[in-house]
Amino acid sequence: MATRTQLSDATALDLPEAPRWRTLRLLLSKKIAVVCILVLVVFYGAAILAPWVAPADPNEQEFTVEAARAGPSAEHWFGTDQLGRDLLSRVIYAARTTVLFTVAVVITGGLFLGLGLGLLAGYRGGWVDNAIMRLGEILSGVPVFFLMLIIRAAYRERTNDLAFWLKENTFLGADAPPLVAFVIITGVAVPFVWVGLARIVRSQVLAIREQEFVLAAEAMGISTPRLLIRHILPGVMPIYLVGLSASMAGFAFVELGLSWLGLGVDPSTPSFGSMINAAGGVRTFEAFPHLLLVSSIPIIVFFFAWNLLGDALVDIVEPRTYRR
Amino acid sequence: MSQGLAGYIIRRLLWAIPVIFAVSIILFVVLRLAPIDPIDSLLGVRYDEEIAERLRQKYGYDEPLHVQYLRYFENLFQGDLGVSTRRLDFSVEEVVIPKVRVSAPIGAMALVLAYVLGIPIGIYAAAQRGTYRDPLTIGSWLFVDAIPIFVIAVWAMWFLALKVSLIDLSYEGVFHENIILPVLLMSFPGVAGVARFMRASMVQVIYEDYVRTARAKGLRERTVVISHIARNAFLPMITSIGLSLPAIFTGSLFIELVFGIPGIAREMLEAIFVPDYDVVIGFGLFTFSLFVLANILIDITYGFIDPRVRVEAERGV
Repeated sequence: MATRTQLSDATALDLPEAPRWRTLRLLLSKKIAVVCILVLVVFYGAAILAPWVAPADPNEQEFTVEAARAGPSAEHWFGTDQLGRDLLSRVIYAARTTVLFTVAVVITGGLFLGLGLGLLAGYRGGWVDNAIMRLGEILSGVPVFFLMLIIRAAYRERTNDLAFWLKENTFLGADAPPLVAFVIITGVAVPFVWVGLARIVRSQVLAIREQEFVLAAEAMGISTPRLLIRHILPGVMPIYLVGLSASMAGFAFVELGLSWLGLGVDPSTPSFGSMINAAGGVRTFEAFPHLLLVSSIPIIVFFFAWNLLGDALVDIVEPRTYRR
Repeated sequence: MSQGLAGYIIRRLLWAIPVIFAVSIILFVVLRLAPIDPIDSLLGVRYDEEIAERLRQKYGYDEPLHVQYLRYFENLFQGDLGVSTRRLDFSVEEVVIPKVRVSAPIGAMALVLAYVLGIPIGIYAAAQRGTYRDPLTIGSWLFVDAIPIFVIAVWAMWFLALKVSLIDLSYEGVFHENIILPVLLMSFPGVAGVARFMRASMVQVIYEDYVRTARAKGLRERTVVISHIARNAFLPMITSIGLSLPAIFTGSLFIELVFGIPGIAREMLEAIFVPDYDVVIGFGLFTFSLFVLANILIDITYGFIDPRVRVEAERGV
């Protein structure tokens, strides 16, 4: 109850504020949240600008005893890995893999399916609602990682064939194998990530749909898409963003875990998962601690920032209505 | 009421049948369409067309897909889950059960530990609301949660085994002191979630009238927090506990790989690579059924613990 009162206190003197701006303003008033956002901006910025930011080619190898697994130096700030590749560049490109994967999953599974199906189920109700939610229940019970492993492991020959065919026969060339691997792990993740978000959205839509302004808008003959976008979506958005930010670390972990197992992105694509795996033996860590440290700390910071941001958002967006 | 509950449970179980049926078809088709041939993997370099043909006949892999599926389902109804091609015709149960016996105790210990640590942490954080201690507690566990399990495991192994020689890393069975570290690490990601959930549900009841009444009666703060707030806040935890129960039996793939534990998750990874059709489908159906059962169990428990909860017959699985 207190949070509710605080919220209305904060806006009591002004004209009623749109919920999304209120969320943003309250978020920016939290120091931790601002720090998290800054950290994430740096991470995403470095990832998007990878070709310009990275000091070297992440796949350029140097086969000399001194160059392999060298510690941090002026030339290689993060040192080099077992093939003499510049680790700073590999970290930046690995960040790009993480960012591309999470963005692809958020747009398809989170935005398109999660928000879209949640709105549809909540607003339409009836058999549409039933069908969507039943499907969600089934999918949420399927051991996701298990099914991903089946698809990635058992189908690896076929996907390799496809990748090589594309490499030989299309303009994609050498980009084809990474692209195919990437599309597949994204495609495998998407059917499962929307369920939780759709549930959150649906329950919020159910609450909003009963309110008078929706009835008024309907009475004025508003079209359904317009009603959803102008009147219902703004009320759903804050809680949706909470759910989304809470799920981000989980999305990124799918790629991390699969790549750690060697079943994720193409080996030529730098990924935190494969880098951690290459650096992550106990003996390797003792002899060359920088290998594991530089390849794990960025992704830990990324996870931590999203976790904290999600937590800060939960505090702001009415904790009473938020259920996971 | 009990009549309604029984009817409700029966309806839920009846609805579960077509769902399990659907999941079995998905698993079956996804596996059979995979380009890897289990007979090929079984014979390896000794591959001989004639032997392969005979083995395919033996396992029925030479028949059309729908015939294979119908036979599988027929056997399933008679309680026969099939045999493992990878494990020399041992039945699926004979392959899976010993491995689950390894994974389940570890998973159960980790789950209990996650709640035993997480609930008091959540109660503490909620009680300290408004001070720096609340965000500090939750924040530090969120940090632990942010470290991938295969990173924190390496750090812990390096420090505890190599630096201070406190522990041994070899797997010596489930009930051996060497299992402490894997169990601890496996519970860590859960702690943050449990603590946060407990804190959130504490905060929801903190301003209820009966809490104010309890304070006004002059009860000690400790009593108010534990008997009045935490007790009621615990109700929503049932769902969370119930939903994490099936995970006990599936094991943690990363922990089993890092610590060399011969559990079910590793067995499944290897079975998928071959692929060992019946083992993979059998285990997939097993975990899915556990999930369905856990959901029904949650609803029944709610009905018992909180009489206010009316069973909603429309909710389905």
